Amino acid sequence: MQLNKATAAIAANPPSSGNKKISFFDKKPIVKQVKSSTLTNIAGLNSLITFTVLLLAWISGFASRLFAVIRFESIIHEFDPWFNYRATAYMVQHGFYNFLNWFDERAWYPLGRIVGGTVYPGLMITSGSIHYIFSSLNIPIHIRDICVFLAPIFSGLTAISTYYLTKELWSAGAGLFAACFIAIVPGYISRSVAGSYDNEGIAIFALQFTYYLWVKSVKSGSIFWASMTALSYFYMVSAWGGYVFIINLIPLHVFVLLIMNRFSQRLFTSYTTFYILGLLFSMQIPFVGFQPIRTSEHMAAGGVFCLLILIGTLKYLRTFLTKSEIKYFGGIVTGIAIILLTVLIGLTYAGFVAPWSGRFYSLWDTGYAKVHIPIIASVSEHQPTTWFSFFFDLHILVTTFPVGLWYCIKHINDERVFVVLYAISAVYFAGVMVRLMLTLTPVVCMLSGIAFSGLLELFLKEEDRDENSGLNASEEESEEEQEKSPGRALYDKAGKLRRMKHEKPKGNGDGLGSNVRNGVVFFILVLLMMFTVHCTWVTSNAYSSPSIVLASYSNDGGRAILDDFREAYYWLAQNTPTDARIMSWWDYGYQIAGMANRTTLVDNNTWNNSHIALVGKAMSSNESAAYEIMTSLDVDYVLVIFGGMIGYSGDDINKFLWMVRIAEGEHPQDIREGDYFTERGEFRIDSEGSPTLLNSLMYKLSYYRFGEVKIDYRSPYGYDRTRSAEIGNKHFQITYLEEAYTSEHWLVRIYRVKKPSEFNRPRIPISKRQIIRQTSSYISRKTARKKKGYIKKRPTVIKGQKLQKRIST
Amino acid sequence: MKKSQSASLADRIQQLTDMSMKRPVMKFNTAKFKEFIKTTPKNYSVIVMFTAMAPQRQCQICRHANDEFVVVANSFRYYQPYSNKLFFALVDFDEGSDVFQMMRLNTAPVYMHFPAKGKPKAADTMDIQRVGLAAEAIAKWILERTDIQIRVFRPPSYSGIIAVFMLLILIGGFLYLRRNNLDFIYNKTIWGLGAVLFTLTMISGQMWNHIRGPPFVYKSANGNVAYIHGSSQGQLVLETYIVLLLYGAVVVGMIFMTEAASRKGDVKKRRIFTVIGLALVAIFFSLLLSIFRNKAQGYPYRYY
Repeated sequence: MQLNKATAAIAANPPSSGNKKISFFDKKPIVKQVKSSTLTNIAGLNSLITFTVLLLAWISGFASRLFAVIRFESIIHEFDPWFNYRATAYMVQHGFYNFLNWFDERAWYPLGRIVGGTVYPGLMITSGSIHYIFSSLNIPIHIRDICVFLAPIFSGLTAISTYYLTKELWSAGAGLFAACFIAIVPGYISRSVAGSYDNEGIAIFALQFTYYLWVKSVKSGSIFWASMTALSYFYMVSAWGGYVFIINLIPLHVFVLLIMNRFSQRLFTSYTTFYILGLLFSMQIPFVGFQPIRTSEHMAAGGVFCLLILIGTLKYLRTFLTKSEIKYFGGIVTGIAIILLTVLIGLTYAGFVAPWSGRFYSLWDTGYAKVHIPIIASVSEHQPTTWFSFFFDLHILVTTFPVGLWYCIKHINDERVFVVLYAISAVYFAGVMVRLMLTLTPVVCMLSGIAFSGLLELFLKEEDRDENSGLNASEEESEEEQEKSPGRALYDKAGKLRRMKHEKPKGNGDGLGSNVRNGVVFFILVLLMMFTVHCTWVTSNAYSSPSIVLASYSNDGGRAILDDFREAYYWLAQNTPTDARIMSWWDYGYQIAGMANRTTLVDNNTWNNSHIALVGKAMSSNESAAYEIMTSLDVDYVLVIFGGMIGYSGDDINKFLWMVRIAEGEHPQDIREGDYFTERGEFRIDSEGSPTLLNSLMYKLSYYRFGEVKIDYRSPYGYDRTRSAEIGNKHFQITYLEEAYTSEHWLVRIYRVKKPSEFNRPRIPISKRQIIRQTSSYISRKTARKKKGYIKKRPTVIKGQKLQKRIST
Repeated sequence: MKKSQSASLADRIQQLTDMSMKRPVMKFNTAKFKEFIKTTPKNYSVIVMFTAMAPQRQCQICRHANDEFVVVANSFRYYQPYSNKLFFALVDFDEGSDVFQMMRLNTAPVYMHFPAKGKPKAADTMDIQRVGLAAEAIAKWILERTDIQIRVFRPPSYSGIIAVFMLLILIGGFLYLRRNNLDFIYNKTIWGLGAVLFTLTMISGQMWNHIRGPPFVYKSANGNVAYIHGSSQGQLVLETYIVLLLYGAVVVGMIFMTEAASRKGDVKKRRIFTVIGLALVAIFFSLLLSIFRNKAQGYPYRYY
């Protein structure tokens, strides 16, 4: 709790220091007189304040991501990070090339997984190279600590690149606001707390940085910046599958600029350079391979490239052709565009170009995944977003970013078209999928930064009315600094807001009065305070749970830690043979591989639906049918998560219907979802539940011996606290499996699959247990000596004199 | 005796095949129903839709159900190797009310499966309440009952394409008519309003409504009407509209304040606008927070 307050205090700082920066603008005229000292120099002060604010944003962003580490310990969280950690550890141990060629036989038994070719290696390479640098500097640091703290460190870099991007789009003040917002906003923290070692942690930085470089290259039209954009895009491709967002948003930007008749040489240079280099770079990632020229997701970029070339040609021809000839060429352009489109459609039908993949297609056709791909629909982060989650993740920003959007459209120019498109597409995607809230968050921070800085700049600026002339001069100076690029002035039609600022001092109208102004400023400060408090609370309560270690709080505030997962995984690591195969639902595959180092059947890399369906079928069949599947898959142990004892809601019984659905998708003859509901269509685990459910393997493994348990004196035996019901099938024995281990709070239960010789056999008293052999058929070891192997035509060594010597003499 | 019956079975199959060749969904009256479905022996299954299509019955859902049923029947008949193990039929209430009485049905539409052997069981009536009316659901149910897999093939819906086309023509025509005065395209206010409205609909969760289809308001058993969904996991349609308005008010308030400060002109007016803007943001944002707090259990801060 002490920490909570401390971080809140730090987090409260940056936005207010953003204000400070603007208020310093006002003091500039006074300070200007003493130019000698660097500290009092305006440029120096400016950069000092910028530096301080960004540093504070970095520190507070880093600090507020440490809740989990301080409350629990420095561990990797959740599911996917465990795989990333395992892969990173493998890479650090065996080297990069071995990592690229890694065939992981411990996953997807019996299929295995080609890890090097099915993973975005950017994350592993980033932390691996940090580790390499540290170790070559002789600073010993465990790779796990790098993995744990990677995302919080990168959040600071994200804040800095957001500052630069917003500075390019609007002004430095808005940039500082945006940087402070993104440092602490929960929508981004949710994927970047310490220990959440996932692709998104570094990908958002790469995304923002690529966009910054892109805006820079559009503004300057230089090949240098465009190549840098392509390099940064390369990093993004290596880090996250969301790079598809970039490769569609940038062409969209170009396309809209073309429609708006804003074609320019700068645009031509930057896009053609970026596209070609980016294409070549992105194909270097093994997992991406030839996708950029073979899938529909990437086709838009190519189409815009062709269009841009065509229009460029047309503009060039216009310089020496007459108008009537140009018209003729216009027809040719349309014709070529239509031919290209038909060729593309033809290629798609012929199968040379893959159509939109299910994950992307479900973004457009929102009902698609639910009907066709239950495995995608089953993932909780693929659900649509309620207004509640928007507000929860963004708080005040969600209401202010439309204001920024409004002003960006009002004062539109080339690069603001980009941020407008970014905002609109990202807000649509975030509405369809909770997970894509992550791509919305940066643009929300930027636009809110624009809104807040626009407002505060106006309300703080009017204060010193009598020193207007000096203010005006310095304003112009800073603006000149901003518009260093000469070509920009031609196309920058914006700056209305700025022009108003110029005009105001000249106008002799009165200000709003200090009461109103102070009221507004005070109110906005209160809003920002509330925002920081909200952010800290959300971070601490919602996003800082490692989910492999659970904490429960008693009434007196004491905390109990439930470490069942690690306990059970450690048991697996210690007590099972190293090649044991563990069957569990796919959610726990990465954790088993990462912590217990055992072979799993399915894991969170859900590439093989039918394999998952087979596991789902085993879980939802009755015991004997499940045993057949399990023996055919060589399963040695079965692991289930059971939360009924402590009231943990994320357990396997609650996920059970998805197992049934996925199994039904592949085996509709054997598994029917309807069988698992009662007559009235309810999913019940008590005595009224459907008999198919009560006899399924999952039910039995979850509730085995649970009927003998009484949790407290008021509730009956076998009372499930998660579903608040007394279980329906209490006293049963399991034939084909035996309980091997149950963790302290019954959260993880492990069963051993019996060998065929171990069940349904009559018991023989110990006295009669002796082995009777028939002497005739017995081959002893001694007689078997005849079968000793020998090598044909083995060169025999004849001892004697050397041959050569004899010849020489 | 036996021979004549089997001959008549072959006869009936022949008749059914002929009829289903003409129309995949055969129309049965009482006599035909008795002849082809009630008579034993038979070696084919029949899926029957009991419906009331006559306009005076005013069964809106029957039309929709009929469309989906025809889609399934067509996919079975035309896009698959021919089979005489399964037939599709339709009994309209106005033509075969006796059948409705015989089957003790008093609702429509009802899908029933009449198996080759034995009488229909409880599960042979499709549970429309649970699985819905979609052709895919019907095909799945048929698969469950008869083990005949039907891949539903929907004739491509031209209506959507036509609608888009019409819209394009409308827009094109409009632009052509106003070709002398195209300034409105460059009107930033219109574009700005459009963009802000779009973001407001998205952040107020209309997409969730579109995908999940929640009720407009929630009426509890004792007659109380709830406008706000109690938990953070769900939302009601009216609730999202309220939130949309609140967001809109806050946005307008922010814009008022900025505009009032940046414009020149009558100071009094600007002052009033500033105060109005401030009040809008303060009041509506705190309302928003109070709704949020109602939904978030355990949110510790009270602002209202």
